[in-house]
Amino acid sequence: MVLIIGSQASGKREYAMSLGYAECDMADAVLDERPVLYNLQDMVARAPECAPALLEALLEKQAVICNEVGSGIIPVNARDRSSREQTGRLCVLLAQRAERVVRLVCGIPMVIK
Amino acid sequence: MRVLLTGGSACGKSTFAERIAVSAGEMRYYIAAMRPYDDEAFEKIARHRRERADKGFVTVERYMALSTLELQHRGVALLECICNLTANEMFNERGEATDPYEAVVGGVKALGERCDDLIVVTNDVGADMGDYSEQTRLYIEALGRINRELAAYCDCVLELVCGIPLVLKGEIPWSY
Repeated sequence: MVLIIGSQASGKREYAMSLGYAECDMADAVLDERPVLYNLQDMVARAPECAPALLEALLEKQAVICNEVGSGIIPVNARDRSSREQTGRLCVLLAQRAERVVRLVCGIPMVIK
Repeated sequence: MRVLLTGGSACGKSTFAERIAVSAGEMRYYIAAMRPYDDEAFEKIARHRRERADKGFVTVERYMALSTLELQHRGVALLECICNLTANEMFNERGEATDPYEAVVGGVKALGERCDDLIVVTNDVGADMGDYSEQTRLYIEALGRINRELAAYCDCVLELVCGIPLVLKGEIPWSY
């Protein structure tokens, strides 16, 4: 599994396409048969406390794309705080087991693992 | 050796900081700057305590005024975190703000003089587009300025991304 992270609109999906995936290969925050999942942060936001249970299924994917959401002021709303924390934690676990971790900055892929 | 760790929330900073502290030396202090206000904070503190329970840290709770903090021994000090320290130095109980720069930067440097190795955890809070109050904007500005000075002061600056350390300055001095 390749973990692709970066801020919103940093070029993550475009990068996935450069790896050979088409739009139709990418699932928007749902687990299905498609090889790539994106907007993982939205999936976590639906049920933040359940995020750890997603780990194994996500590791079965060929690529997982997630926004980096932890760099900002801590949200006032408890649910938003939890969602942000759970997204970060899940990404740490995914990164530990990913074959590769790529971070996109202004469309530039940086292989960080 | 002085190391500054930055990154967003839940990016693995604490875990990494503890790991390098363990390889840095035997006498380890954990300087906790988080002042608990509610159950969530108490839970966070309890979780951090559990995670470092078997790592041999002496925990010192210190919410402000680092410049007068005395440590019994030299050794390694892990300070977590600058965001809390800055908020504590900046806002009084009535929410009124004063510039925390001298207290925080001076405090960290004073602490740096009293230990052999210093590991400082901070946070990147300026990278969203929230519509914040004047007080919060002042806080973001103050923390950004403090972070820049601490980065200049430290030998090594790392950004943690999904638990992976990216070197922004110097070299990682210890194994992890």
